[in-house]
Amino acid sequence: MNSETLNTLDSYSKNKYKYGFVTEIDSEKPKKGLDEDTIRFISLKKNEPDWMLEWRLKAFSKWKKMKEPKWANLNFPEIDYQDIYYYSAPKGFDKKPKDLSEVDPKLIETYNKLGIPLEEQKVLAGVAVDVVFDSVSVATTYKGELEKLGIIFCSIGEAIQKHPDLIKKYLGSVIPAGDHSFSALNSAVFTDGSFVYIPEGVKCPMELSTYFRINAENTGQFERTLIIADKGSYVSYLEGCTAPKRDDNQLHAANVELIAFEDAEIKYSTVQNWYPGDEDGIGGIYNFVTKRGLCAGKNSKISWTQVETGSAITWKYPSCILKGDNSIGEFYSVAITNNFQQADTGTKMTHIGKNTKSKIISKGISLGKSQNTYRGEVSFLRKADKARNYTQCDSLLVGNQCGAHTVPYIDSKNNTAVIEHEASTSKINEDQLYYCRQRGLSHEEAVSLIVNGFCKQVLQELPMEFAVEAQKLVSISLEGSVG
Amino acid sequence: MNIQDNYLKNKKNIFFSENKDIQSHREKLINIFENDRFDKKNNESLKNINLKNFIDFKYKYLIPEEKSVINNNEKNSYSIVSINGQCSSYKDDKIEITKILDEDYNDFSKNDIIENNDHFVNLNSLFLNSGFKIVIKKNNNIKIKISNIITDDDLTIFQKNNYICEEGSSLNLIEEYENRNNSTSNILNVIKLEKNSKLNHFLIQDNSPNHNLIITTHSSCKNDSTYTQKVYNFSEGYVRNFHYSELIEANSEADLQGIFFLKDNNTSNNKTFVKHLAEDCKSNQVYKGILNDRSKATYFSNTHVDQVAQRTEGYQLSKGVLLSDNASYFSKPELKIYADDVKCSHGSTIGPIDENAIFYLRSRGMSKIAATKILISSFINEELSSIDNEQMSEIINKKLVRYLSKVK
Repeated sequence: MNSETLNTLDSYSKNKYKYGFVTEIDSEKPKKGLDEDTIRFISLKKNEPDWMLEWRLKAFSKWKKMKEPKWANLNFPEIDYQDIYYYSAPKGFDKKPKDLSEVDPKLIETYNKLGIPLEEQKVLAGVAVDVVFDSVSVATTYKGELEKLGIIFCSIGEAIQKHPDLIKKYLGSVIPAGDHSFSALNSAVFTDGSFVYIPEGVKCPMELSTYFRINAENTGQFERTLIIADKGSYVSYLEGCTAPKRDDNQLHAANVELIAFEDAEIKYSTVQNWYPGDEDGIGGIYNFVTKRGLCAGKNSKISWTQVETGSAITWKYPSCILKGDNSIGEFYSVAITNNFQQADTGTKMTHIGKNTKSKIISKGISLGKSQNTYRGEVSFLRKADKARNYTQCDSLLVGNQCGAHTVPYIDSKNNTAVIEHEASTSKINEDQLYYCRQRGLSHEEAVSLIVNGFCKQVLQELPMEFAVEAQKLVSISLEGSVG
Repeated sequence: MNIQDNYLKNKKNIFFSENKDIQSHREKLINIFENDRFDKKNNESLKNINLKNFIDFKYKYLIPEEKSVINNNEKNSYSIVSINGQCSSYKDDKIEITKILDEDYNDFSKNDIIENNDHFVNLNSLFLNSGFKIVIKKNNNIKIKISNIITDDDLTIFQKNNYICEEGSSLNLIEEYENRNNSTSNILNVIKLEKNSKLNHFLIQDNSPNHNLIITTHSSCKNDSTYTQKVYNFSEGYVRNFHYSELIEANSEADLQGIFFLKDNNTSNNKTFVKHLAEDCKSNQVYKGILNDRSKATYFSNTHVDQVAQRTEGYQLSKGVLLSDNASYFSKPELKIYADDVKCSHGSTIGPIDENAIFYLRSRGMSKIAATKILISSFINEELSSIDNEQMSEIINKKLVRYLSKVK
């Protein structure tokens, strides 16, 4: 988030809420479990047209026949899909904490370390003070500016109502509903997410973030995002927030689809810091995310940057299908696991077009009793002449009870394509530690400094202000496990 | 005929079939095959294999008895001609060779270490019909050359060999597989290296297109022992090289290397798997492949470092050169690390021959083919020049020249 927006937020938050009334919040809850009725209920609640309901039901019938993918290096109890609420209406005020003093002090401590302003903390912690600042009007200001350029940026629900043609054409075109069981599940029950359309030749002037979108609350559980960049356009999209967020929903299965046409570029940055469970590995979010970008046109580019520090289980492979000639796919990732966290993350680069290029930089850091796996596939199909890939994945182990794993899949069917992969695993260099400590840094500070240096290659790909916060986040994630 | 029928039909002829323990174990294996019929989709190691040859084998199963030849022509040097997977017993003060039948069944029937996740090893335990055991006695320095010959067409050999290198011994083992007939060999080598022993294992594979070779090695190394394996695959038929190595005691080393040369429609599947189970061990895995025409290859390598295996050094490297549009190479170099004080790395490259290098040579008056050939030779030169056995390097150079003559 840049400083300008922070100032705007600040000034708005000082103003008292102009419209002093509170809407009664509908506390209707659907029943637990997943069947056709649940899907009909969701579709009805979202006021969706019939074709959307049909689409969901089709996905559901596919999901019923599917099994969860089992190849990941993860250990977790079987998910009982019938024991989950699939539509969570906004919570009533009476259940929310009334004051920051009622919020878990640990959470507040982390907010302070990240340097999040007090007012924002209240929103993040879900404090029920009327409305702390009028996020709606902030968002509308931005929205006006975007509309002038012809950019569509709204919730996916709104897009289904207002832009059915685009949705019909592109939703599920990169990640088909039947791709695997989590994508089918998401397609059947998704409730929120973003829709972005950048028209031909437009460079989006600001970083788009869910934070400024109306209904940004309660994103989460089954998020569906679709970003379309038309010819010659550019967009940078930020997902998530460095601030830790508590969420009651244990299962998360988001789908994100990106489509870049000729000469278009999409930059997608994520900071994921969901609740990872406590020190004993109890609780925490299961995060099963499918992210896929299609470089449909010539010279298009898709770049994924992710900082993964949260969730008990991370299952995530942002990938690129490089279909257009000369298209470029990039993947930068930092994954930090602590305590009993498990992460199986990586990417998939499928080279179809000529002269396509991809670059993968992955940094994994494991601490405590965690397991951190990089899993990446690079494949060159027959027609990918002169395609090029460079992969580097480094792992750092801190402590002798964690595990770091690297599982690359490399497949070449073209004899002009060049593929390079290198990986290394080691512990923190004793000499570097010694050097830092000699200059007066504590052990913990020294480790944090070295780890930040280890991740620098990836962190510098993040938008500026985000990168600063991410650096702090890296240090916080290391806390308590070093020494 | 499928595996189950084959088993029932040949039950009586399979080794140790009278033993009840083994019988019940084999019934279990049969069940595995029934439940998990070679599932290509979920088992990457079955990529590119023409399974028909192995599942519905119509081959002759009963092997004709032929006398093998053991020569001790030079001091400390033996040459063995093993016929149809068999070797007669032999004994002197340095080595001891035992035919499989004379031996306690325990040594040959149990393949638990690798079984269950490898169907071809399961097949071997199920249909075992030949094999031998070689013991190198304490503190001896021995050279052995084994030529594996199959006499009849349509034979199916399920062979298991046990090698034991006793304390302080050193063995130079050269195995040759050169068969011209239409048959299948499924060979499992189980190697035990005692304290301070050393084994240099060379495998030269050069079979005709209709001979299928499946070779699996499992070596385990104790204190200060070293296992070095070099595989040279010039075969025109299908070859599967799966090599497992376990470093079970401190200061041991495993070095698994291989080069394969493929052309036409040939395929080859390769795997190396090193398990570090003790401190201060070293491992190295290097595979290089040259693929021409419509050939296909896979290479899986895996370094597993256990929590206790501190100060481990493990390196992997895989390199592939694709000479034609239709060749394909799949590589999966895997690292699984549970200890923190380790130095592990892997590298993998696949690509064509460097165009700049070709340009350089051509600008000095060389034809394109000559330049290509020179660059292929230099690609594997490091491996070839490290062979310290003159006779061996001569054999391999000849085969390399033969391969290069077909490159256009």
